[in-house]
Amino acid sequence: MHQKAILTDEEIVSLVRTKNQELYGEIIRRYETKLTHYLRKFIHNSDELKDVLQDVFIKAFRNLYDFDIDKKFSAWIYRIAHNEALNYLKKYHRHSISLEGEEWNLLEDKKDLNKETDTQLLKDQIEKGIALIKEKYRDPLILSIFEEKSYEEIGEILHLPTGTVGIRIMRGKKLLQQFLNQEFYGKK
Amino acid sequence: MEKNNPNNVEDKVMSQIKSGRVKLRSKYLFLAEKLGLGSAFVLTFMLAALFFGLSLFYLKATDNLWYLSFGSRGLLAFLESFPFVLVIGWIVLLFLAGFIFRKSGALYDKPFGYLALALVGFIIIIGTIFSFTHLTERMEGVAFGPRSGGAVFRPFFKPGLDERNRGIAGRIVEIGADYINIQTPNRIIKVNLGRLEEGPKKKLEVGMFVVAVGEKHGEEFVATGLHDINNEEEMPMIRRGIHRRFGSFEPTPPPIFLER
Repeated sequence: MHQKAILTDEEIVSLVRTKNQELYGEIIRRYETKLTHYLRKFIHNSDELKDVLQDVFIKAFRNLYDFDIDKKFSAWIYRIAHNEALNYLKKYHRHSISLEGEEWNLLEDKKDLNKETDTQLLKDQIEKGIALIKEKYRDPLILSIFEEKSYEEIGEILHLPTGTVGIRIMRGKKLLQQFLNQEFYGKK
Repeated sequence: MEKNNPNNVEDKVMSQIKSGRVKLRSKYLFLAEKLGLGSAFVLTFMLAALFFGLSLFYLKATDNLWYLSFGSRGLLAFLESFPFVLVIGWIVLLFLAGFIFRKSGALYDKPFGYLALALVGFIIIIGTIFSFTHLTERMEGVAFGPRSGGAVFRPFFKPGLDERNRGIAGRIVEIGADYINIQTPNRIIKVNLGRLEEGPKKKLEVGMFVVAVGEKHGEEFVATGLHDINNEEEMPMIRRGIHRRFGSFEPTPPPIFLER
């Protein structure tokens, strides 16, 4: 157990591929909570979320040889989770986004969102706002604010250049702000 | 720890792995996928470069660009003889190469604009090199030659030699009072000079290459503009087409000689 804990994700993947498939359990343990947290924004029903999460781990296992061992495993598995979440949304035509209690604290910490609105934001308005933002702005925004991923990691997950990630996050924030201003003050 | 809990995601996934229901996909499968995508990209890239090269070759080897020397009068003839198939083919292949490249996931961290510019740049450079080699000329030879493979290339070259309604190019074989007969890659056509508004710089002579704009009326072509071409090498595809149709050029004997 101790040995497993000091191995990096990439080292475990290498061992799973060549020697010991049972080590994949360690990967699941490391990512189950993180991915559940991420997927919950797209999938509200907990049974459906578990099914999607299971699909993510199965898909990741099947395609382990597709992973480039010199890159970050976390970005790779987040990419799979992201694609599965999008497939789920497409399949069930759902577009709402759900945020949890701890994510509100994260949002409060993001002072650059808008000082004025930070204090007045209502949960359902933010959720509605994020859900209404175009997918290309919404996804980097979610990964940046709620998953606290760096621009480089977001770039790896969404397959975008780092500069583009920054621009999309900035635009996403602006759009969200515009939406909230409109909702609260009726101004554009 | 939630060991052996059927609702636990880890247990569910690991039981499927242990039972062999979920297996690792072979690394050779991924290798083959990558190779397949790579080959498809190289193929579309080279085809795009070839189509660009063929378009350039077409423009410099046929009468197409010559019609622009007549100004607005030659616009219809220019459009009629433009290599749309090659240019559209080039654009489609260019987009296809870009799509395959994006699909492969390579260099995703580079801005798309730069990649697209680099792709277009490389295709243009290689295509230009193609157009200056004998490859395009050889392809033209195959297209109109007796070999069975010719049918594949013919649709790309044939519009360069087709008979047009608004323009004509060829070699003078006979000069009349207000007409000339010229050899084209298809047949000898009488060009009526009665309504000529823009004439040649040189005196017309048998054997001279000319290009004219106007309108086709039945079997003859009524020219409104006619330019002489200094060197028949400036329109090599038309020259070769005429050579294939009529053989080596020999001035037609004067009519008085034929009547004897």
